[in-house]
Amino acid sequence: MLTVPPAGCVDVWWLDICTVAVGRGELAELSLEEHKRAASFAFRADRRRYTAAHVMLRRVLSGYLDIPPSSLVFRREPCPRCGKPTGRPALPFGYGVHFSLAHSGDAVVIAVASQSVGVDVEQQPSGCVCALSGDMNEADAEWGRALGEAARHDLVIRWWVRAEAVLKCTGEGIGHGIGSFPVLGSPDGPPGPAVPGGPEQLMAATVVHGCSLISLPAPGGYQAALALAGQASSVRLAVRAPWSSGRRRTARA
Amino acid sequence: MTGARQALVLDELRGVLAEVTGRDELRAIPAGTALFGPPVALDSLTGTRLLREVRQRFGVDVAAEDLNLDALATLGTLASFVASRSELPSGRP
Repeated sequence: MLTVPPAGCVDVWWLDICTVAVGRGELAELSLEEHKRAASFAFRADRRRYTAAHVMLRRVLSGYLDIPPSSLVFRREPCPRCGKPTGRPALPFGYGVHFSLAHSGDAVVIAVASQSVGVDVEQQPSGCVCALSGDMNEADAEWGRALGEAARHDLVIRWWVRAEAVLKCTGEGIGHGIGSFPVLGSPDGPPGPAVPGGPEQLMAATVVHGCSLISLPAPGGYQAALALAGQASSVRLAVRAPWSSGRRRTARA
Repeated sequence: MTGARQALVLDELRGVLAEVTGRDELRAIPAGTALFGPPVALDSLTGTRLLREVRQRFGVDVAAEDLNLDALATLGTLASFVASRSELPSGRP
């Protein structure tokens, strides 16, 4: 059984949906709600991404809780801003395990901690994303003004994943706006490629909106960020499953 | 608002969707297709980019005008909302 990370620490699991087999056995682990949602996707690739991500989420959490994946029950916390049931997805009260799931393109990232956590990953999108600058906090937008177009696109996506990680950690989501506080701190680039699993790393964090925020090392072509509840100036990160691209392998549908 | 005008907006929106998602198959989705969550799986980033593009191309701020965001239920409801509040897309007859 896996040990839930202590305060200030977070476990991160990277997965490539191309490497996740989704057969009968895996599908049997999902809930009726998850099956219904998967069935309503119009395109096969979206259905597969959703299914693979949720199968892996259940398997990862099962390892910390010693509960079979299919027996896990999820609930939705209320939004701390408006009280509607649109807050963080969560396990039942008393489990002591917090998690966050994000997926984009082929990448799935799951964060597990003993306090509220938010993670986001985005594949560099097609087309120009400069229009999103209008949603940025003024202090963050300022960093992009002197940059060339490609660097500005990188900055915009870095801003987005950092802001979304914070709003997922607090449970507010982006429905109440995404630019009400700055998240960049500095225009530094992403922290390099996704690291192999193994020793924990202590990463300097920026305290934003009640969270300790870091840019997460991510696969090439992706950017990611992670926010942990609290005001700590560092986050201890353990990569339990390193990124391993499965693009050349054959995925079973 | 005429049906022809709404059809033009609908067509333009399909193009915007394909552009912000990088998915050409979205150029052919029916008007009744839900935009968020299944079936087209717009995530928060692409959804926000869609609204930004709508504001730039049609001058309609959907998030500001429709507080409940009912307009975002389907591609068709978004097209109706935009067509009822905008001039024709630039460069169109």
